[in-house]
Amino acid sequence: MNADQVNAYLAPLRDRYPESRALILPALKYAQTEKGWLDLEDLEAVAEATGLTSAYVESVASFYDRLYLRPTGRRIVSVCVTLSCMLRGSDQLYARLCDLEGLPPEGGTSEDGGVTIQTAQCLGYCDKAPCVQVDVDETEGPVLPDEAEEFLAKVRAAAQPTEVWR
Amino acid sequence: MTDYAPVDLERGEQVEFDLNGRRVHAPPGTMLVDAAHANGVEIPIFCYEPRIGPPLGACRMCLVEVEGMRGLQTACSTPVSQDMVVHTKSDLAVDGQDGVLELILANHPLDCPVCDKGGECPLQDRTFRFGPGDSRFLEHKRHFPKPLDLSSLIALDRERCISCFRCVRFSQEVAEDGLLTFQERGGDSEITTFTGGAYEGRFTGNIVDICPVGALTSIPYRFVARPWDVTNTESVCGTCPVGCNVELTTREGRVQRVSGREDPNWIHEEGWLCDKCRYAFPAAWSPDRLTTPLIRDGGTTREVSIEEAVAAASVLLARENARPGIVVGPEATVEEGFLAQKIAAASGDAPIQQLGIPAATLAPIRALPPAELADLDGAPLIVEVGGDPANQQAIVELRIRKALRHGARLVMVGSRPHALTGLGEWHETAPGQIAETVGRLADDIKGTEGVIFVWDEQSLAQEPDAVPVLAELMAEVENAKQLELGAHINGAGLRALGLPADGVLEAAEAGDIGTLVCLLADPLSAPGASRWDAALGKTGPLVVIATHASELTDAANVVIPASMATEHEGTLVSMNGRAQRLRPGQEPPDGAAPGWQILVAIAHRLHTDVARSPSTILRTAVTERSALTGLSYKEMGRLGMRLRRPSPASANGAHAPREPAGEGLRLVTTRRIFGDGFAARSDALEHVRQPADVVISPAEASRLGLEDGDRARLVSEHGECVLPVRVSEAHQDGVAFAAVGVPGAGVERLLPADDGPVRVQLSRA
Repeated sequence: MNADQVNAYLAPLRDRYPESRALILPALKYAQTEKGWLDLEDLEAVAEATGLTSAYVESVASFYDRLYLRPTGRRIVSVCVTLSCMLRGSDQLYARLCDLEGLPPEGGTSEDGGVTIQTAQCLGYCDKAPCVQVDVDETEGPVLPDEAEEFLAKVRAAAQPTEVWR
Repeated sequence: MTDYAPVDLERGEQVEFDLNGRRVHAPPGTMLVDAAHANGVEIPIFCYEPRIGPPLGACRMCLVEVEGMRGLQTACSTPVSQDMVVHTKSDLAVDGQDGVLELILANHPLDCPVCDKGGECPLQDRTFRFGPGDSRFLEHKRHFPKPLDLSSLIALDRERCISCFRCVRFSQEVAEDGLLTFQERGGDSEITTFTGGAYEGRFTGNIVDICPVGALTSIPYRFVARPWDVTNTESVCGTCPVGCNVELTTREGRVQRVSGREDPNWIHEEGWLCDKCRYAFPAAWSPDRLTTPLIRDGGTTREVSIEEAVAAASVLLARENARPGIVVGPEATVEEGFLAQKIAAASGDAPIQQLGIPAATLAPIRALPPAELADLDGAPLIVEVGGDPANQQAIVELRIRKALRHGARLVMVGSRPHALTGLGEWHETAPGQIAETVGRLADDIKGTEGVIFVWDEQSLAQEPDAVPVLAELMAEVENAKQLELGAHINGAGLRALGLPADGVLEAAEAGDIGTLVCLLADPLSAPGASRWDAALGKTGPLVVIATHASELTDAANVVIPASMATEHEGTLVSMNGRAQRLRPGQEPPDGAAPGWQILVAIAHRLHTDVARSPSTILRTAVTERSALTGLSYKEMGRLGMRLRRPSPASANGAHAPREPAGEGLRLVTTRRIFGDGFAARSDALEHVRQPADVVISPAEASRLGLEDGDRARLVSEHGECVLPVRVSEAHQDGVAFAAVGVPGAGVERLLPADDGPVRVQLSRA
């Protein structure tokens, strides 16, 4: 993505915010729709369009879990690890999912680029703990550690969403 | 460093408020931390650093109770207001501060016993003064591999970082290099560079000074000393004409560190330093440092004691038909320059000169009101004429960037693109066109009050026709001030002594010099090197008082090793006329002596009565040189004093344009920040050293059949040298830009002795 594209997207938004710094999140979200993650060129485009330094843009992007600075898999699986889900076994679920995809305990993207596994803070589905969200689909649960294999098969079988905003 | 902003409690408008039950006052708008500090109450801070810019409120350490406001307030971002009631020590405030400190220390490794910062660490000090002294955290602390090299000069220990953002804000908002960033969040936060590469720049060392913990430490100083077994000496940097205040840290008789010094009212450099200033000190023990006095007689070279060398020099000066001449280099202090004058006077009014730029044509500008660097802060308009401050007077670049953040307008006229040219109105001129361009801009500039003119000594000496144009313009602007970008370290000090920039060379060429004395001067690596080279063939014995070996010392009959700026007392005058005291942080090596001691010894052997200590030498100089009136070590104190402004000299019509003879491209020279003898000799700067090269535009490159990386032979009417070629789109046609000052590169051979305009012809070497 280049600065002109980002600028065109931001043009109608500019009046809504008191300073250009506030445009950085909409700009990053938009830049990520292209390929599902942000490369250096995207960061520089956002920096140019918002008048901030690329370094600042990168530090903002790194703050948010759902702005990606590395290539992601076709689907992104976010496992809630906050209190309710943790008490209901989300740690085991997470470990099982990573194990099945051959990933280290901290998660990541599977070798074939099919799935990215990451943790998430409270998704607001405590009544369905442990809960999991795939991309920005409706959060589902409970997904018990035993059901991990079946769950992954389902995720892998589904088509990638056409909108890659995550 | 105090970390707090200067507060003027005397200023007319003040608001009164209650501070811990006391009625105090401060100017409206002052932040509570600063107002409290000015009134003798310390509020603990970590992230607050007023020199960087507006407060951030990241660390939350400065929590205080303000009656009527809900909860606790961050004193760093709360301005004082009339009748405010503030408690910094109430139970509520102390509880807040204790809680924040406990949280800050939750992940801090507390490895103070092995940390370079231990003993001079704000986190350590404030934990002792303010903290709860205990922690309820039992969890494991976070761990990172340590340390990480952020560059060849700075190590990063991420475990110790408390995420105060000072370094990141310095990089983003002061140096504006945009390199440092904070990534991730919460417990995973860490400092990195945007590119993932090294944090390299001109001002990187400052982040070590401002880090309130031991997360950023200096690699050359790593594990070298502890604060309780060092002595700190307040001195002045002797590596460029800006004259920044520095602190020399000495352990075991050696300077181990140079750091920024508090600049109480932010008059001069605000405590920031460039990396050359900070890391040049190891040049004192480079392999080519002179440590043995030598006498060369016929074909034999003898290593002698310094007394014997001084005696031999004195004999050469006192013998019949000695006809001495003395050349003083830019590193010589005011005291050394004055003693050299005394010796010249005692030797039958022998010719004496400094290796500098002739002052006569520049007098009309120098007679106008001079600016402090602080004047740039509030200037509505800054007009920069010529020069390359980013390389040659680096701290000026930082101050101009600050002025731009404060809303100043920047107009630049010159031929050499530099780090600031993209930030203002850049009027690129061909060499020789400054007068015309300034004349064209005059009407635009005149309308503004309080313009600061930043002018380059070398550029205007090359274009004397621009001097009256600029001087007249300055006279027409109300409250205009001028800031000189000087070319030589103590050029202003030697000028105040009345040392001319010519005389000895001409006498030597005419065969009128019997004994030539070079005092901290190397004419063979100064402009006019070719002429000096030829002239040296016509002089008699050569006495060299120098710090490092060179072609000149190899040819000398008497070599007397001298001290460097970190090793002697003396006075340096900055480019804008501030006389400041050098104080030694270490002894010169065995076999070397301070320059003033060598000169006193020579003077005594010549039966000349001179004072025997730097302070008394200066006292005599002050009585005999009117330009130094009022100067004394006491008056200079910690921060120096301003010399009297030179009286307006008559221009005498010496302002005709100078057109260099010969054919080819006009040569424009610059001294790169890491491209001089200090950088070449300091092993700390090994990885950032800048080599000599010649920069030309793509059009000139194709016309000359040269490509990037080729080697080109440069020939001027004065001499020639060979340099690698760099092709740059940013540089104009018709000009060759070369770096001077790189030892051994020989660019100085192309230049006339007064550093005037010159043309060069380039061809493939």
